[in-house]
Amino acid sequence: MDLLQMTGISKSFFGVSVLDRVDLTVRKGEVHALLGENGAGKSTLMNILAGVLPRDAGNITLDERPMEHAAVKDAEAAGIAFVHQELNLFNDLTVYENIFLRKEIIGALGMLNKRAMIRHCRELFEKLAVDIDPSTMVSELETSKKQLLEIAKALFAEAKLFILDEPTTALNNSEIEHLFSIIRRLKADGKSFIFISHKMNEIFTIADRYTVLNGGRVVMAGDIADTTPREVTRHMVGSGYVEQGYFAERKLGKTSLELRGLCGEGFSSISLTAREGEVIGLTGLKGAGISELFQTIFGVSPITGGELEVFGKKAARQTIRSAMRAGVAMVAANRKENSVIPDMSLLENLYQSEHALSMGRQLIRARMELHNYQGWKNKLNIKADSPQELITSLSGGNQQKVILARWLNTKARVLLMDNPTQGIDVGAKAEIYRLIQELARSGITVLFNTLEIPEIQKVADRCVVFFHGSIQAELERGDITEEKVMLYATGAANMREVSV
Amino acid sequence: MTQQTTGVHAGRKHSGALKTLGNYSFILIFLCIFLAYIWINYGATTLSGVMNILRHSTVVGIIAFGMGLVIITGGIDLSVGSMLSLIGGFSVEVFNRTNSPILTLLFALAFGLVLGLINGLLIGKIKMPAFIVTLATMMIYRSMAQYYLRVAVRKSIYNMNGQLSAYDAFYGFGQTKFVQIPVVGLVFAAVTVIMVFITTSTKYGKSVYAIGSNERAAQLAGINVPWTRSAVYMITGVLCGLAAFIWLAMNGSVDPATLGKSNEMYAIAAVVIGGVSMAGGKGKLLGIMFGAMSYTIIDKIIASLKMDALINDTIKGTILLIAVLIQILIPVIRGKVMKRAG
Repeated sequence: MDLLQMTGISKSFFGVSVLDRVDLTVRKGEVHALLGENGAGKSTLMNILAGVLPRDAGNITLDERPMEHAAVKDAEAAGIAFVHQELNLFNDLTVYENIFLRKEIIGALGMLNKRAMIRHCRELFEKLAVDIDPSTMVSELETSKKQLLEIAKALFAEAKLFILDEPTTALNNSEIEHLFSIIRRLKADGKSFIFISHKMNEIFTIADRYTVLNGGRVVMAGDIADTTPREVTRHMVGSGYVEQGYFAERKLGKTSLELRGLCGEGFSSISLTAREGEVIGLTGLKGAGISELFQTIFGVSPITGGELEVFGKKAARQTIRSAMRAGVAMVAANRKENSVIPDMSLLENLYQSEHALSMGRQLIRARMELHNYQGWKNKLNIKADSPQELITSLSGGNQQKVILARWLNTKARVLLMDNPTQGIDVGAKAEIYRLIQELARSGITVLFNTLEIPEIQKVADRCVVFFHGSIQAELERGDITEEKVMLYATGAANMREVSV
Repeated sequence: MTQQTTGVHAGRKHSGALKTLGNYSFILIFLCIFLAYIWINYGATTLSGVMNILRHSTVVGIIAFGMGLVIITGGIDLSVGSMLSLIGGFSVEVFNRTNSPILTLLFALAFGLVLGLINGLLIGKIKMPAFIVTLATMMIYRSMAQYYLRVAVRKSIYNMNGQLSAYDAFYGFGQTKFVQIPVVGLVFAAVTVIMVFITTSTKYGKSVYAIGSNERAAQLAGINVPWTRSAVYMITGVLCGLAAFIWLAMNGSVDPATLGKSNEMYAIAAVVIGGVSMAGGKGKLLGIMFGAMSYTIIDKIIASLKMDALINDTIKGTILLIAVLIQILIPVIRGKVMKRAG
């Protein structure tokens, strides 16, 4: 019996079609995997279902009742529970307070009946075989427990359909197993799940049926039993068209960066050698450990094992400044939080890191700085009226170029770029690709982390694929195909029926 | 078409002027208060009276520069008044034992550095909240000044020994004038120049703003955040030392129960009137000089109107509210002007 029927759902933003007549059916008591690359339209579809976004066309029926253009509250009342990747819990309240928020049990004189709430909570957890004390503060729970709490909360609200958006990103293997056992138990009770994940092994373990989206259309759907990870991956990727014209062969110099079995928070046993003038693209799913690796190389987080050598010098207890002095620079992810100093001008933002390195000479040489600013402005094609403008008045792409100039200005020889094209427009992206190649030609080693495989195909000599904090594969330029990378990044290559 | 472009142009010009006004609203406030003073004193205004404003702004003004630096990092230092009291009291003892104004000055600066270092380490390195740390040291420093006086000195106030040979020179320094300008006022002006220079022309100054604006980004850009943060409290301590020395030169004695009481509030007010944002990362230190002088003029106005001094804080508080109101309103008005033009 079908619990949910979505038919002919279309949606476009500013004239750009994001979903094009998408159908999705979820039966009662099944786990339905929703698959697709970043930007395939999964989130939009789920946001429409959960009432976050209105749809342009199409029908939704839940339990044979049509759902009109519903708001989040209506979708919740109809029995749809959206468990987001970023959890929506109040850290400073207890577990039971979170579950009963706005549904508190009230006793005489309008006082809260805490005992009844805790009792109900305990019963619910027992039923789910979840080991959480209802009176602990949510801030004290591990991420996996928080995830289970979200599900329990939805269950308490009598949800019929759970949307789980990449629920395993922050979980380890035994926690994933536990989550799956709970899903199976609820499934037996007739609850349904839409399971969004990129990890093939999980999908082939837990899901009954699947739908693959690509470019806003359904390209494949059916029973999991009738398909293979390889076939699904091929449909997810589609026939990716790769622009050429950025990449040029370079002569590589001596070894610049060497990692031998490097361990740290979020990754382990990473061995990697990079040479001068080399461009290495690192990729993996969210939470694969690449950002963490970059932060450790850059001295933000400590090394917990293994060795790190920069230009032949061992770096044991690295700080950000010692990394900078050794010639390492990092263009951090999330530009707004980690890079931009919003109350300062372009020029001040550009010079911040150079100043940090030359604190011994306190006087600012304004004329020299202005001269260098002009140099970087021309070289990186920064579009700005005046160096005294606030950096926040620039577009995302130009802000990113200022941050890049900040690091090039320190004469760094190893450049770590964490998601450098995040939130910038297509034109600026193309310029960043061109710059990466240009920097490599001048002998700089560039390591960049990206979720978009075509970016790697455009500029990298090599591609290193991460899965769960360790390296799955290293592919030479000629071997980089989207399909192959996806197989490794989703862990599908580990599964028996696949041979690459 | 032409009309439209001129419209936009005029709007830009307008908003540019308003932006400048927004950045320099402290001058507007200072001028209003100053003109009120001249009007009230009509005819009786003398150059020496005006110069006295500078002289009487010196102690709070110097402290306020430290406070300004602290507030730019997003912190606060409530202990400045108590530091003034403790450093002042102990400096009296140092002078009475050494008969040397130079040694007294060096002691005051060094002791201020130590007291500021204590605040700085707890806040910068150990990452305790600035409000709590300086609230605690505010109580500790003043109590120490009072306890030492009662138990070891056994007097009701710290009094400089007038019999000492260097006393006249020391006290004279606080009263003397250089071509009509009081010398302590010159010290205040010099501190202003130095502090404005530090914040606009040194790398350290820029890193102070960077921390207040986005600490995480500052850290990832390579700035040593704990050290930079500790240093602003140390600088504040040293400035309190200098202010204590000047207080001694001007007054010759310290009553630890009252000296510097509420000075942290006046310093914060001077910083805010000067246009420094309490959220950190924004503002010019130059405004602090005007902020401090504005408050001194209010004292003078109340004195010349022969009003009861207890009305003082009512007026000062009101001026503070008006100053902040202006700072909030100018960007709003500016936005409207730009909207109409754009």
